[in-house]
Amino acid sequence: MNNKHNGWRVPAILAAVLAVAPLTMPVNIANEIVVMAIFAMAANLIIGVAGLYSFGHATFFGVGAYMGGYVLAQFQTSTLTTLLIATVVGALSATIIGAIVIRRAGFYFMMLTFAFNQMAFYVVLTWSSVTGGEDGMGGITRTPLGIPGLGSLNLDDRQVFYALCALVFLASYYILNRVKRSALGLVLESAKENPRRTASIGYSVYRAQITAFAISGAFAGLAGALYALLYRFVPVDTISLAMSGNVLFMIVIGGLSSMVGPLIGAAVFVWLQGLFSLMWARWALLFGLFIVLVVFTMPNGLVGAFEKLRAFWAQRKGGRP
Amino acid sequence: MNTGIALEAVNVSKKFGSMTAVDEVSIRFQTGRLHTILGPNGAGKTTLFNLLTKDYKPDGGEIHLLGEAVTSLKPHEIARRGVGRSYQITSVIRELTFFENVLLAAYRAQRSGRFGFWREVRQDPQAAAQARELLSGLGLERFNDRKAADVSYGDQRMLELAVTLATRPQVLLLDEPTAGLSQRESERVKDVVNSLKSRYTIVMIEHKMNVVMDISDDVTVMARGQVIASGSPQQISNDAAVKAAYFGL
Amino acid sequence: MSSLVVAQLINGCAIGMLYAVMAFGLSIIKGLLNVPNFAHGALFATGAYVCYAIANMGLPFGIALIGAFAVPALIGAMLQRFGLEKLAKADYLLQVLFLFGIALALEQSLVVIWGTSGVSLTAPSLLSGSFDLGFMRLPRYLVFVTVASATCIAVLWFLIERTKLGSQVRAGIEKSEMARCLGINIKGLLILGFALGAGMAGLAGGIALPLLGASSSSGNDMMSIAFVVLVLGGLGSLYGSVVAGLLLGIVQSLSTLVAPTMSTLLLYVVMTLVLLVRPQGLFGER
Repeated sequence: MNNKHNGWRVPAILAAVLAVAPLTMPVNIANEIVVMAIFAMAANLIIGVAGLYSFGHATFFGVGAYMGGYVLAQFQTSTLTTLLIATVVGALSATIIGAIVIRRAGFYFMMLTFAFNQMAFYVVLTWSSVTGGEDGMGGITRTPLGIPGLGSLNLDDRQVFYALCALVFLASYYILNRVKRSALGLVLESAKENPRRTASIGYSVYRAQITAFAISGAFAGLAGALYALLYRFVPVDTISLAMSGNVLFMIVIGGLSSMVGPLIGAAVFVWLQGLFSLMWARWALLFGLFIVLVVFTMPNGLVGAFEKLRAFWAQRKGGRP
Repeated sequence: MNTGIALEAVNVSKKFGSMTAVDEVSIRFQTGRLHTILGPNGAGKTTLFNLLTKDYKPDGGEIHLLGEAVTSLKPHEIARRGVGRSYQITSVIRELTFFENVLLAAYRAQRSGRFGFWREVRQDPQAAAQARELLSGLGLERFNDRKAADVSYGDQRMLELAVTLATRPQVLLLDEPTAGLSQRESERVKDVVNSLKSRYTIVMIEHKMNVVMDISDDVTVMARGQVIASGSPQQISNDAAVKAAYFGL
Repeated sequence: MSSLVVAQLINGCAIGMLYAVMAFGLSIIKGLLNVPNFAHGALFATGAYVCYAIANMGLPFGIALIGAFAVPALIGAMLQRFGLEKLAKADYLLQVLFLFGIALALEQSLVVIWGTSGVSLTAPSLLSGSFDLGFMRLPRYLVFVTVASATCIAVLWFLIERTKLGSQVRAGIEKSEMARCLGINIKGLLILGFALGAGMAGLAGGIALPLLGASSSSGNDMMSIAFVVLVLGGLGSLYGSVVAGLLLGIVQSLSTLVAPTMSTLLLYVVMTLVLLVRPQGLFGER
């Protein structure tokens, strides 16, 4: 049932969708969707695949955003260097925090991730000399992207920057999907249901989960830096609990069980937020009700609903589901 | 086949609060033989198993595996040293298919605990072949792509056995392998376990007397956390202390 | 200088009692339903707004406070009956997200009805002004906050410890399977439990209104701290929340004298330490 996510078909479809997207909506919105999708996929590795319900994933996203923004604002580092720094910092922070939070399970794990998120938030808020505090971090400019052998690209062009983000997304999808389908992914899924049994087969569940945190943090940090580049600004709620809640929404709306779900969830979230907030300032009310609807009617998200529909049609046509 | 001590517990104890579940038990399991542990409920048999696999930490005493002390190891480390265990309550991963369940164990046996995060694990040549071989060896190949949640309890028990075997253990700890199975299914499991005798050291907790008598080489009886009798199946069936423990005389 | 400390101590007591009331409600819900109520903050805000609305109609403050309890309690009962009950067998994450979604919808509804700029209420004249203690002036309303919160908890204590219904609630929290076997109407109990917990949050909002004002998001910080209190007090211990709430309120207030920007950060450091060193908190068992 997971086979269709193998190989080149899905990435090709995704690439096509991403290429067409800026024609159907403002390119900035498409860009935000793509960046949030990277964040959501990263979080899905922990929340969906490993079944660890993290309520503080914005910590790593925010760390990447602030770090990336900082080096850009202070040192005008090249784009590649900035993204690399953000990825490494994201991975490191996730490894350290992950090593601590997975010592507890269930509700206590949730509370630990929540506590770390709050601590990160308040540190950012009070360290305003560096982070800008409540006002956010500004002064971020996009440096040209140097491609060895091809010269440098001016990223101030919206379309060019979108293309970069889309490419990073496709690469991230490919990598994260491979991780999901690797031995690590299977160990995580097994431990999600029965950690004791997984250990008795001979796996160190702790090591598997920390590795997952490191990978998740890396991509979340990367997404954060792209976010900072997109808006040339890092608002304080980048590292807030609300952001952690948002990514949770995206994952559940899209569907936990595949890496395509987060993109769909991000698209729905950002699209609703971007387009409808112009129509009604209280769009969030509808969004809250939408979440409730999804929870009741589509527990496996839009991807899950789609797969059910496919199975239903296959059955009707007389084939095996 | 060398006759040595494959697994040994020396004076192990485990307390839960004021209740002593296992009381300074010493027991030896000889290589290549099938050793059954009998006893009424609450005798401490499963707790003893949990001590042997380090799912619990002993409050006292030592555990030796193939001559080495392993008391301080973690559960996954004991597993990698060659102890395979099946649980009394079926603990197969219900959301994964039969193939995936066995593959996970087979892959570990091959890679001794290291896990890759790049290659498609379901296509790992050796582990996949091993998994398929095991499943067909137990007559389960028709369930290869079926989720463990979607089959009968009896078939899940067989899957549990397949997973345990896939870890390529040297010592097999089977906790009530026929629990919850019908007469016919129990016979099937009994035959399978019997066929494994030459290749593994097997320690089994069992209640069904016909299974115990037919295939055991050695029997130990526990009651209230202590060993009360040890010997061949015939000796045990005639032992007065055993009768007392079972019938409360 | 020491009068500053005393003032902060008193401040801390008052705010601590508010934390205690919030956490008490959260503890009932977590204990009975085993779900962290992420709508608790929105219910706090709802209580505050209802209190404002009733007081603005010219009705006595006491009635406003009753409303602050009753309306969120009713909402809580409905959330359980039509929401969580249906999700009882679903994944934990879905139950949590349901509450998240409701919280969002509830908060936005408050803005729709009362606008974005928040509301405030001056305390009734009986409770305004301050007592002259000689070395300092003690605001009457702070005393009221402390007393009212304590009374609320005391009333609930009485209900839980001394009535038949209360013993069922306790059984439901401590041993739910057994409670079902004994024929205790677990469904009704869960509805009552959520209503009680939600009511506590709303009442806290009403009591806090003249002191802190209210906006649609004012419940969020309170809710976050309530979780800290819950963890510190310990799951499964209702009264642990009271002690923990007071403790944290006082610690937070006193730390504003020493390091004002770090006072909230400190709370989360404490939470992390508790979770790592002694996850069952001060009085919890599991």
